[in-house]
Amino acid sequence: MSQAVSMQGVRKTFGSKVAVEGIDLSIPEGAIYGFIGPNGAGKTTTIRMIMSILFPDRGELSVLGKKSAIESKDRIGYLPEERGIYKKMKVGAFLMHMGRLKGLDRSGLKPRVMEWLDRVDLADVHKKKCEELSKGMQQKVQFIASVLHDPDLIILDEPFSGLDPVNMRLLRNLIDDENKRGKTVIFSTHVMHQAEQNCDHVVMIHQGKKVLDDTLDDIRKRFDPRALHVDPIGGVGRSHDVSVVPGVAHVTPIDGSLEVVLDEGIDPQQAMKSLLDAMPMNRVEIKRPTLEDVFIEIVTSGKRGEDAEQLRAELLADNQDAEEVES
Amino acid sequence: MKLSKVSRVAGREFASTAMTKGFIIGALVMPAAIGALMPLIILLTMKAQPPADTGTVYILDRSADVSPTIENRLSPENVEARWKERFGNVKEIAQNAIPLGEDQKKQIGDRIDQASDSIRYPELRVIPAGPDTDIEELKAEMQEQVAAYGKATGDLESILAIVDIDADASQKVNEEEGYGGFQVFLRPKLNEETIGEIKDGVRWSIRERRYVNAGINRDQVGEIHEISERASQEITEEGEKKASSAITTFIIPMASMILLLIASMTGGQYLLTTTVEEKSNRVVEVILSACSPMELMTGKILGQMFVGLSLLVVYSWLGIFALIFMERFDLIEWSTIVLIFVFFILAYFMFASLMAAIGSAVNEMREAQSLMTPVILLMMVPYFFFMPVIRAPNSMLSTVTSFIPPISPFIMIMRVASNDPPPVWQTGLVILVNAVAVVVFLWFAAKVFRVGLLMFGKPPNLRTLIKWVRMA
Repeated sequence: MSQAVSMQGVRKTFGSKVAVEGIDLSIPEGAIYGFIGPNGAGKTTTIRMIMSILFPDRGELSVLGKKSAIESKDRIGYLPEERGIYKKMKVGAFLMHMGRLKGLDRSGLKPRVMEWLDRVDLADVHKKKCEELSKGMQQKVQFIASVLHDPDLIILDEPFSGLDPVNMRLLRNLIDDENKRGKTVIFSTHVMHQAEQNCDHVVMIHQGKKVLDDTLDDIRKRFDPRALHVDPIGGVGRSHDVSVVPGVAHVTPIDGSLEVVLDEGIDPQQAMKSLLDAMPMNRVEIKRPTLEDVFIEIVTSGKRGEDAEQLRAELLADNQDAEEVES
Repeated sequence: MKLSKVSRVAGREFASTAMTKGFIIGALVMPAAIGALMPLIILLTMKAQPPADTGTVYILDRSADVSPTIENRLSPENVEARWKERFGNVKEIAQNAIPLGEDQKKQIGDRIDQASDSIRYPELRVIPAGPDTDIEELKAEMQEQVAAYGKATGDLESILAIVDIDADASQKVNEEEGYGGFQVFLRPKLNEETIGEIKDGVRWSIRERRYVNAGINRDQVGEIHEISERASQEITEEGEKKASSAITTFIIPMASMILLLIASMTGGQYLLTTTVEEKSNRVVEVILSACSPMELMTGKILGQMFVGLSLLVVYSWLGIFALIFMERFDLIEWSTIVLIFVFFILAYFMFASLMAAIGSAVNEMREAQSLMTPVILLMMVPYFFFMPVIRAPNSMLSTVTSFIPPISPFIMIMRVASNDPPPVWQTGLVILVNAVAVVVFLWFAAKVFRVGLLMFGKPPNLRTLIKWVRMA
């Protein structure tokens, strides 16, 4: 399969600050990739380089088989993180303008704009000025502007920020639809669970470096914490009884239930069975690693216990803030 | 660079600037409306003159010689006759001040005649007071009246002025000394016209008596003073020609320069605004995903060029129309009109480059001010050079400044439109020099534009701008 985007050893600095350091990347056509990482990690810089808005200081880059995105701009749809619209322009006129800038013909453009507006439940706004729309509505209009010309590669920088849950789901479905039609999708987010819901492949960027590049399944396997969540009848008070079950390494109470870490080489299925045999349970399930856990593990690995704890707390707080802002 | 994208950007730029109510009203309708309203405004100001004063003028004539003449001079019939005559003169001057066709002269004449029918002039009653009258008594009476009524009341009884004439005003008492004079005591807030009428009357009468007393024939003196002069002619290569008037030496060069300045400044100003707007709106990155920075800048500059050009077309047609209306279209040469457009393109590109660079470098309009200051100063320079260039269009100063971009087009258009235009090779060379300058300016702007567009944060100073130019 040919590559939609490939990067080798790409590096970008702003003055003395290194924004992106030696990133290698290869995104096959038709894939749906998530770029994750905290704010300021280098996601936007990487995307801007793919878009040829910024140029790498070093390294090779190719987009849709061309040396630079400039040669294939009309085949790329881009929703920047710093998105804006012409406030005084009417929604319909703005989308027509963007469509024509992207090389679409005037003929057939209007029905296409109307169809897209209809798809995002904004059928009646095309005569309104952009500034009259709410922020979420503007964002949907901006999304249309990026996919209107039916691009082969869709790059969305933080597409979900600022949307309510209903619109978030709408947008997610639209992105899925495009991907099912064979389009390559790259999107970035600093909210990890959004990537989990959408992507089949995740690239994690931290402090300008790529720290993870794998499919979600592989990541889950690799970072399997070998842990279970159990809710014994009788509550957390029975943690001691749990800890003596064969194969259990140690038990920690978390939020009214127990997290059970297993010994090396123990089959989780077997351990679940032993636990159920030992006492009656409300719930026993395998703990699935979240991207957040994976990320925190990668970032904190190599740091000493106390530092790691502090960093973990900070990162969690960051993520919670982000999610609260969204909801 | 794809032409379709450039023209798309230019089209939006033009439409969003020029196709708005604000622009059409502000830039196009307003000047046209003012032009149409001008005659009406002049007519209204003529009608709206202050009411004339009515009242008494006491003449305290210590010479016992002048007062009968003054009485006669300021009599109502004579005052009226003089005011009518003055209007006749105004008519003549108005008809000949600017070059006009016969039809227009007649129209203006008729209008002034109409106005003169409704004219009001001071109505004065002159009372000579004997040489032994106590002036202090008169002053006291006037003060009483002022205390009671304030301003002149329009009543013939009210005292407007007391004129105190020296005993030797019209006849020297002593041959070695000069003549005496006079002094006027006025009620406060009289109209200027009334005061003038009184003083002129007194002065005229004293002079009249001096002629008589010295035995000089007044009419003869008048004849001696009157020297007639026929309209000056210029001898040119083609023969005799009417000498240039103020309109060719001043108004046409000045109008051409200001026209150029307004058109290129308006386009440039709008370019700055829309660029800053795109940047502060953050719409710029969306646009950059569809076209390159160069396509965007070129499109924007071209779009605003058409805005400036449409202003230029409208205004220059207003000017040409005015000249045709005055039947003096021969005053302006077609080549000047063509050159205004050529110089507009050159001047506009230079200023637009600066504006694009500034607009892309700052985050909001407020920050643009400090970077704008040098540009504004630059725009003032042609004004400073207006007088010296008009006086001597081919002096060293005029020639040198007309070769220095970016003020060069403004100076050169004044020289070209003047009545002593520079040789054609100079015009050609100036165009060439400016064309090169345009390339340099655009190159600079392109560098700053590319870097500046996506730079947010601290607004740059000149040094950072130069750093960006090196970077890009």
